[in-house]
Amino acid sequence: MEELELELKQEIIKVLNLEDMTPDDIETDAPLFGEGLGLDSIDVLEIIVLLEKKYGIKLANPAEGKGIFRSIATIADYVSKNRKK
Amino acid sequence: MIYIIADNITSPLGATTGENLEAILQGRSALRRHEGLWGIPTAVCASLFSREQTARMTREGMTRFEALALSSAREAMSRCKIDVASERTLFVLSTTKGNIELLGTDGETRISPAEAAEHIARALGLTTQPLTVCNACISGVSAMITAERLLEAGNYDTAVVTGADVACRFTVSGFQALKAVSEDACRPFDLERLGLNLGEAAATVVLSRKAPEGAQALWALEAGAVNNDAHHITSPSPRAEGASAALRAVASEGIALINAHGTATMFNDQMESVAIAGCGFGDVPVNALKGYTGHTLGAAGILETVLTAAALERGFILPTKGYGERGVSGRIDVVSALRKTDGRRFVKMISGFGGGNAALSLVRTEAEDAPEGKKAPDFVRTHNVEITPERVLVDGREVACEGEGLSKLTALYKQHIASYPKYYKMDPLARLGFVASELLLQAEGKERKEEDTTRGVVLCNSSSSIMADRAYETTIGEGDNYYPSPSAFIYTLPNIVTGEIALRNGYRGETGFCIMPRKDEALIDRIVGATLLDRRLDSLVAGWIDCTDDTHYEANIYIIESNK
Repeated sequence: MEELELELKQEIIKVLNLEDMTPDDIETDAPLFGEGLGLDSIDVLEIIVLLEKKYGIKLANPAEGKGIFRSIATIADYVSKNRKK
Repeated sequence: MIYIIADNITSPLGATTGENLEAILQGRSALRRHEGLWGIPTAVCASLFSREQTARMTREGMTRFEALALSSAREAMSRCKIDVASERTLFVLSTTKGNIELLGTDGETRISPAEAAEHIARALGLTTQPLTVCNACISGVSAMITAERLLEAGNYDTAVVTGADVACRFTVSGFQALKAVSEDACRPFDLERLGLNLGEAAATVVLSRKAPEGAQALWALEAGAVNNDAHHITSPSPRAEGASAALRAVASEGIALINAHGTATMFNDQMESVAIAGCGFGDVPVNALKGYTGHTLGAAGILETVLTAAALERGFILPTKGYGERGVSGRIDVVSALRKTDGRRFVKMISGFGGGNAALSLVRTEAEDAPEGKKAPDFVRTHNVEITPERVLVDGREVACEGEGLSKLTALYKQHIASYPKYYKMDPLARLGFVASELLLQAEGKERKEEDTTRGVVLCNSSSSIMADRAYETTIGEGDNYYPSPSAFIYTLPNIVTGEIALRNGYRGETGFCIMPRKDEALIDRIVGATLLDRRLDSLVAGWIDCTDDTHYEANIYIIESNK
């Protein structure tokens, strides 16, 4: 799981252009939105594209993603259970 | 007062305003569910021209988009007498993506909407330099307001204002990536609304300072306003500050209805209901027309204004197709069945990406002799910034800067701005505008306010959003290379840069983006002067900002203070 979490941090830094950040700057359990990394609604959509492209997971409705996108840990958990590639 | 002396709607429902109104009075909609369009993997519900309709519009040497806009403008012009070739006649094109279908083809050299506008204007017989308003979804209303002001200020006597967009893989995939579309027919303001449907159309108004001879009653543009939310680049503000400010600026007692944007996305309709109810118009009938024609993007503001006016003239308020039960928190009176009215005044509302909101009030009035116009206020440039690959000048003084090409912008950002990580998410055009505006505002030296309703942002260029267009195109390749990027798509709307500047500085005044074939200082000055006819504005960040590749970019922007 730790490996997947690290990979997700690297991918998210890349697709969201979080310049000047390293995986060490993102806490695995910290909230990604609001007070945490401060990601917004377009970032969520971009992470949905990432999940489809890299792991073959299709998430049609962003509303489903509320629980999934809480933190790196919750995304990693969801990916490990649903990945198709 | 500026009059509408002729109009047209060209949509899959008909090729004239009358044909469209008849179809809608019969309850017809052009929305259909399509499978396998443009190789897009999911179903698309949209209002599209049939092959026969497209063939009827086809003109040699013109693209599908240009032929559509031309058909609409020609039909409107056939209904009025204007001095087409006069230097006092202007063509204004409103579009979001114009000829984007040409991207990656041999015809790419004419991909800029300014080129398309020039082709259309020449085909119509106009001789003046045309203007393209590219302000995302509010383009149509923005274009009418801009044209109205240019006429009021006495720069022109007549303006042909045409809005148009065609649907294609580029735009449809982008709206899908933003999760803004519904696979079924849209349901504006309804509890179960799931998103918008795109539509192809063109619509035209011919505006004039003079009523035609013998005309009795005419529609006139009474007041127009544009306000930015300064909230988010794509999400409307839940408090509806921009839409409320625009609505308050134009709406008066006794309006027969408000024709809303009503895209049927969760957030847009909710926001509009908050604005309408919050401004005290909870009892005024509200309708939305996208259940008939879809969201026709650059045409929408003009098409829906013309359609609403035509229905009112017949004594009708058109029903909101798709609406059943109110699903917005603002207590508003959404019209669900045809209503009779003898009202003669209405407001068109519209909102879009980049945070822009516009409202326009129209009145059916007796034709009078042309009253005196309004003089645009004088203005002065107080500070200026120039950024090119060769040099960076702030108020005429050169600023040292490392790096080559576009990486200079990041060097400037690190050295002079920093601590705004959103910079890294921007496309090159937005980066250029952002960095230039930051240097400009540092030179001005005022403290940044939480909100400022007295300042607007008006920028112009000739290449639209070409770098962002290319970047997005790489995300919609064939087969396993098809992963449309929502963030890349956003920046394919060139007005986003004005939204970024408004957002950063809390500017809630007008934001606008115009495209012209060549940099024309006199025309930019006219647009600036016309914008300042909005007396709520004290100042603007305005000027030129163009970016075509790593070694070709230019920002030349200034602070404009109005001497109103």
